[in-house]
Amino acid sequence: MTKRPRFGLYALVILSVVVSFLPIIWLVLTSLKTTEGIYAWPPQYLPDPFTLKNYINIFTNSPELLLYVLNSFIVALGCTVVALSFGGMAGYALSRLGMRRAGVLMVFILAVSMFPPVSLLPSLFQTFLNLGLLNTYTGLIIAHTGLFLPFTVWMLASYFATLPPEIEEAARMDGMGFFRIFWSIVIPLSWPGFVATGLIVFIFSWNEFPLALVLMTQNAMRTAPVGISLYPGEYAFPWETISTATVIAIVPVLIITAIFQKQIVGGLTAGAGK
Amino acid sequence: MISMISPLDRRRHLTGLAFITPTMLVIIAILVYPILQSIVLSFGQSSIDGSGPYQFVGLKHYAALAGNDRFWNSLWVTLTFTAISIPLELAMGIGLAVLMNEHFRFKGIARLAVLFPWALPTALNTLMWRWMYNTDYGLFNAAALQSGLVDRPINWLGDETLAMMSMVVVAVWKTSSFMALIILAGLQSIPRDLYEAGRMDGMTRWQEFREITLPLLKGPILVALIVRSMDALRTFELPFNLTDGGPVTATESLSLYAYKVIFDFIEFNYGAAIVVVQFLVIFAMSLLYILTLRNKD
Repeated sequence: MTKRPRFGLYALVILSVVVSFLPIIWLVLTSLKTTEGIYAWPPQYLPDPFTLKNYINIFTNSPELLLYVLNSFIVALGCTVVALSFGGMAGYALSRLGMRRAGVLMVFILAVSMFPPVSLLPSLFQTFLNLGLLNTYTGLIIAHTGLFLPFTVWMLASYFATLPPEIEEAARMDGMGFFRIFWSIVIPLSWPGFVATGLIVFIFSWNEFPLALVLMTQNAMRTAPVGISLYPGEYAFPWETISTATVIAIVPVLIITAIFQKQIVGGLTAGAGK
Repeated sequence: MISMISPLDRRRHLTGLAFITPTMLVIIAILVYPILQSIVLSFGQSSIDGSGPYQFVGLKHYAALAGNDRFWNSLWVTLTFTAISIPLELAMGIGLAVLMNEHFRFKGIARLAVLFPWALPTALNTLMWRWMYNTDYGLFNAAALQSGLVDRPINWLGDETLAMMSMVVVAVWKTSSFMALIILAGLQSIPRDLYEAGRMDGMTRWQEFREITLPLLKGPILVALIVRSMDALRTFELPFNLTDGGPVTATESLSLYAYKVIFDFIEFNYGAAIVVVQFLVIFAMSLLYILTLRNKD
């Protein structure tokens, strides 16, 4: 086998990495500059002087930005737990309990997942207003669960379908009920599927914008993407605060993605391939 | 014929029903019912909280839409945005996937770099780009002015054509990675011996790509294309955060216009008509999606 030239390959790889990271790097650099440094001419590429003042200021002057991150965390976690519980049960019913018309139901679930979120807004806003669910964690958790359940069901159903049926048959011979089999055999065997699905649902919910914008109208209840986007500046967008808050809001996602990149990529490609 | 239902089958059936009920209730409440209610709203006049009487007005709102230039503009913006960004994303996605399929050192870091733009919230990605596009203090103008490429700052988001292009760039940056991941999974499933056979026949790299790789990638490419097109057709937070639809309405997508009609102008029924039209456009796309998947199996 002939060896192909590698320089071109490495140049392209480095270029892709730099382009992918550029906005994030520029954001982090901005957050480490003084206000004068951000608006200086000639432009400052590296922070000079380097400062952590913007981070300290967020804790002292704009704690609502931290509240947004906390709200996002509560909603995303709640949505992930509910979606995995409901979606796991539904996926098991559809792939393993010999349901009639399981195929039709799967296609129905796929079809409704394609509704544009904005088309749900007039009705959801009215309903949530009347039920007192606007500006509640419960409300947004239910809404996000609805949005991401179709994905969860598809992912978990296809994971369950890969388990060997003999184990469940043996358990049934021993007189175990269906619920016990699901709880004490299927779930422990399927945790990689639950982890991959849960991580992606968590990221989806953390990132969701239109429903979070409309269903959380009080400043104190906003999630991070919405709260930071609507953060008011006195006369101009306060980029030193915005860049710092954005860094704080994306760190959880960056960490999750970095640690679990294999599971996330595996889950994403499996989900899209179905 | 008498069907024999054993107690076991009966129990299995009941368990199945019990297991699927919570999911179905949530999906109906959050996805199905709101769509149906939007359709009802679009044919009538009612109060915001739905407490007042509902008055049926027939096609009044749809007739008004037909004569509404801003609506047609938003439909045009959405279709243009989709038509420009999807082919670019596909080209970048295939390129990235082919690249990531090679063997090289530090592959983990490279894969992470490709994954990050996808994993971060679009709304915040958009803010990062808006900051780089900033006319007076942004990175792009700083670099362009200092290097002497231009002698006046470029108004990236203030010119109609340029603003659309700037928006497309953000979309391509953000979602080529998603395309790349799906295509990469397809690439990795292509048997190695096909390439060895090709090499024996003296194929060049380009011929290998055109005659072996591309035909076998048709399935994953189609899926990626359709999923992404549907996303592009409902794009919302990208124009919301980048330009707020401006300058004037040059980047106002259908979702953004519908949102403004509903929540800024507080015209629920008229807004409902817009989202129903948008729903129909996307529904046509999803039918295409499902038919394609059916044919694949």
